[in-house]
Amino acid sequence: MRGLLLLWSLAPLAWQLYTSLVTPEALVSGSAGATGSFWTLENYRQVWLADPPIWRYLLNSAVVGAASTALTLALAVPCAYGLQRQGGRLRWAVSLALLATAIFPTVLLFLALLQLARTLGLANNLLALSLPYAALCLPLAVLLLRAAFAELPPDLEDAARLEGLNLPQRLRHVLLPLLAPSLASTAILVFLFSWNEYPIALTWISRPELLTLPPAIARLAGSSLFTVPYGAFAAATVLGSLPLLLLVLIFQRSIVSGLTQGAIKG
Amino acid sequence: MTPSLVNTLLMLPALLLLAIVFAWPLLDSAWLSTQASSVLTGLSPIANHGANWQRLLGDTRFWQDAAVTLRFALVSVGLELLLGLAMALLLHRPGRGRGWLRALTLLPWALPTTVLALGWRWIYNDPYGPLNAILRAFGAAPYGFLTTPASTWLFTVLADVWKTTPFVALLLLAGLQSIPAELEESLVLEGASPGQILRRLTLPLLKPWISLALLFRLAQALGVFDLVQVLTRVGPAGSTESLALYAYLNAMRFLDFGYSATLVIATFLLLVVLTVLGWLLLRRRALEPSR
Repeated sequence: MRGLLLLWSLAPLAWQLYTSLVTPEALVSGSAGATGSFWTLENYRQVWLADPPIWRYLLNSAVVGAASTALTLALAVPCAYGLQRQGGRLRWAVSLALLATAIFPTVLLFLALLQLARTLGLANNLLALSLPYAALCLPLAVLLLRAAFAELPPDLEDAARLEGLNLPQRLRHVLLPLLAPSLASTAILVFLFSWNEYPIALTWISRPELLTLPPAIARLAGSSLFTVPYGAFAAATVLGSLPLLLLVLIFQRSIVSGLTQGAIKG
Repeated sequence: MTPSLVNTLLMLPALLLLAIVFAWPLLDSAWLSTQASSVLTGLSPIANHGANWQRLLGDTRFWQDAAVTLRFALVSVGLELLLGLAMALLLHRPGRGRGWLRALTLLPWALPTTVLALGWRWIYNDPYGPLNAILRAFGAAPYGFLTTPASTWLFTVLADVWKTTPFVALLLLAGLQSIPAELEESLVLEGASPGQILRRLTLPLLKPWISLALLFRLAQALGVFDLVQVLTRVGPAGSTESLALYAYLNAMRFLDFGYSATLVIATFLLLVVLTVLGWLLLRRRALEPSR
């Protein structure tokens, strides 16, 4: 059963890896062609040296991801803390709003956000993308962090208050160090989201050298609908997936526990 | 300052950003849906007294897309729940390398949809893709997976199921972890079979998580865009044109922002009606008996 599950999950990905590493003749016929070679790195050379090169998109996505993660955490931590301390109707209303926005399909926002970006001059600005991204990640981030705040012993903060620490000091020196695992898994989820987001990046960014990875890949796909260089595509998909693959494998424990814990206690 | 005021101030920046990015666009699109704003008006809005909505009601392409989207959402979410439950039960079983297994099964969900959609286009390729290579190995003729309306729709669903089932599995895994192991042990002592345990214990206790996964996935699937935009576009005879894709095409291709806004709001209304309906049904059926 486990083997079947792995096959289902990984076979399509493994096929991309294989496609990226063989010559076009080998891909079509399954054997080395007239040139006599089967394996090749030519596809990687091609996307690495393209104009703009693939590392440019990777870099752009990394910049947007880092900025979105920082902004989301900066807004979500105080919000989660306030929500956890707050009682009554306000808490109920905010929680409901967070749940509703968490399940909202973001593609329905693209039209108005595009107009907003044009009005405020935010189009073709990588850092500006982190504003909508932070908003789209906030619901999940606040719900996860609120659950984590709820786990902390209440006496702890009272003791810190008696020591004379004010709120920012309590957060920085007492509460946040204890929340490190939850902060880490929230950060990873936000980074994943911004690395993968498509409709807003597609409509906000038009200059080729500023594209993030998803619209860049989609543009590749659209540019040559009939003669499709699948080897080069596969190389691009492998390179675009590699950073996330490493992230998921290194932080698998905090991603899985972050999502499951948040869901249990949220 | 009272504690309540402090709490409100702490929440305010996040709530403000949420209002700008979620509430304002909906209001703006609702307003724009009552305006003519296209190349004909020089892209500046002019009130057209419900003409957009009248056009929508008579637009067969809209109704076809609504049917495509709805069918896509119901079928793929249904399959995802079934497969996700099986996957979650498998990931919950103790064993060596469970952490790695969980991480590897999560990969399709974690990687960018556009990237994977491009991958699936190659997998379905006629005649060189791997699926056709397998067919050839069995002596069958190559099959055009993305050529007829019915099969294009079906294989788009398959790609979506592959991509999002891990997320459903993860949510249901959270539910499984919240069930005390003693409950299952006591049923085992009573001599219950695995099937009986699943029906009598696991599924009833899992219902809140199933509802959450269902609501979340249904809302997302009704807004499907990334996958179809890269994998098939509108598809043969519009067979994979989702409402979101039609709204996008109206704005970015036909430059008709007024009608695009109308489509956005129509999709939003459909979404609200369906999620509220689903929520009410689930509440009645699933949550009350367990109280």
